[in-house]
Amino acid sequence: MATHTPHFPDLLFSGAARLRRWEGLLMGLLTNAGYSELRSSLVMREPHEKASLRFFDGDHLLALRWDYTTALARMLSKRFAEPPPRVSYAGAVFRRANQPWEPVERFEVGCERIHTDEAGRDEADVELARLLMAVPATLGLRAAILQIGSAALLRRPMEQEQLPQALADEVTRALLRRAPHRVKEALGDHPAAPRILAHVEALLSEFDGVVGLNALDRSPYAGLLKDEREHLRKTLEALSPFVPEGLQLRLDLADVQGLDFYTGPTLRLYAPGAQQELAAGGRYDGLYPELGRPWFAAGFCVRLSPLLDLAETRPDLFDSLGAEAQ
Amino acid sequence: MTDPSNNQPILIAFPKGRLGDELLTRLEGTPLALDETALSSRVLRIPTATPHVQVLLLKGTDLPRYVAAGVASLGIVGSDTLDEVDVDLLELADLKFGACRLSLCGAEGLTLDALRHKPHLRLATKFLKATSAWLKREGLTAELVPLQSSVELAPILGLADAIVDLVQTGGTLKAHGLVEISILGTTSSRLVAARGAYLADPERLRPLANELIQLLSR
Repeated sequence: MATHTPHFPDLLFSGAARLRRWEGLLMGLLTNAGYSELRSSLVMREPHEKASLRFFDGDHLLALRWDYTTALARMLSKRFAEPPPRVSYAGAVFRRANQPWEPVERFEVGCERIHTDEAGRDEADVELARLLMAVPATLGLRAAILQIGSAALLRRPMEQEQLPQALADEVTRALLRRAPHRVKEALGDHPAAPRILAHVEALLSEFDGVVGLNALDRSPYAGLLKDEREHLRKTLEALSPFVPEGLQLRLDLADVQGLDFYTGPTLRLYAPGAQQELAAGGRYDGLYPELGRPWFAAGFCVRLSPLLDLAETRPDLFDSLGAEAQ
Repeated sequence: MTDPSNNQPILIAFPKGRLGDELLTRLEGTPLALDETALSSRVLRIPTATPHVQVLLLKGTDLPRYVAAGVASLGIVGSDTLDEVDVDLLELADLKFGACRLSLCGAEGLTLDALRHKPHLRLATKFLKATSAWLKREGLTAELVPLQSSVELAPILGLADAIVDLVQTGGTLKAHGLVEISILGTTSSRLVAARGAYLADPERLRPLANELIQLLSR
């Protein structure tokens, strides 16, 4: 069903109660897993992000908080010599909408797992995925799909081929549309075209689960991606015994959303019958080094705005909405 | 636990007009043929020969928005239309049919060189993004005159020096005394999908998408 969220939503009684209840449930889930809440200011002082809502306060150009991960990273990198390993957040972010039906004010709950040793990646990625697997049942969603991908699967081959940035962006946009014909069009007669096209075909393979990783055997970059593949395999195998009832764990090799930010495994939560992504996250090991800290990080964010819409338009997708209203 | 989405019909958006006519002809006699009675009535959701699969007939320029918003899970639309709208959807296949050239056209005898030397070039078109991209590639500047229909009248009536429009057989151009001066690109029909729906309901949508590809790429 289509959703019709106004850009700046006013929540009436049931919507407001549901938002507060869901925030409480999700923050409870994160607290129980050892995450501590941080609350960054709603106003950010380095408003370079184009999608942000900017305004002047006297001579100073400011922006409303457009992204929690960025806001928290700035706060943590300035205030801590060693990072707190587990932080959580809840509140609104403001971003200009890409599509007319998207809100500008978006309600989110999320968490960040930060560590100082590279060896901590495996454990952190599994921990985050297990937490995200618990989100649908926490909110009373009857069925959900958690898709695991990896930004490195396209990023590293493009880096190896030294594709010019504009061409790399075009290839990424085409794969974002899952359109191999557009990738072919973009690459034209570039010397790397046959290799990248064969790789893209492998990424778009429809096999699933750990077996789906075998699709990478067909890629000319199979050797280059050996470590990423092994990391994904270990993550999937570690998660399999814990998949809750009603949730499907899927492999999506062609997930290239946020390729300019994510550096490793990515997570995306969907629900059959819902038309929008309900949560997303992944590993972004490039963010803290950019801010002068040699830290590794991953996290996810639950998008409460589309979930609130879903509760209005498709209450049949939830188990507990009836009980909640009583 | 049952999947509650399984009871909902799957909606596919088909374009009205030339591309739509070709599409309906190709689907005649197949499991995705449209119900003739419903097609000739004002029914909004037209049943197909496959239960639970229904079709919305939409204006081509509106179609990508319906799919991106998830109202329809799948859709078929020309790449020329897709390239003009800024929406987030999946483009699963180039179906090849309905192929056209996107061309710069003008009065007989007019050349690209002559247009290059015009101090103030005016081009009438429906395809503003594609024309802007071509102008940028060519290092040209021009005033774009946005039109929605009968673009070929613009150079005849003096509204523009030339036009950028789709050309299939060239019959319309010839009838108006116009010729192709330069080909900007080629276009064809594409199978598109709503990102959320396609990734959330792969068991339902992938087989249908594959069936459409098989039927329409013949």
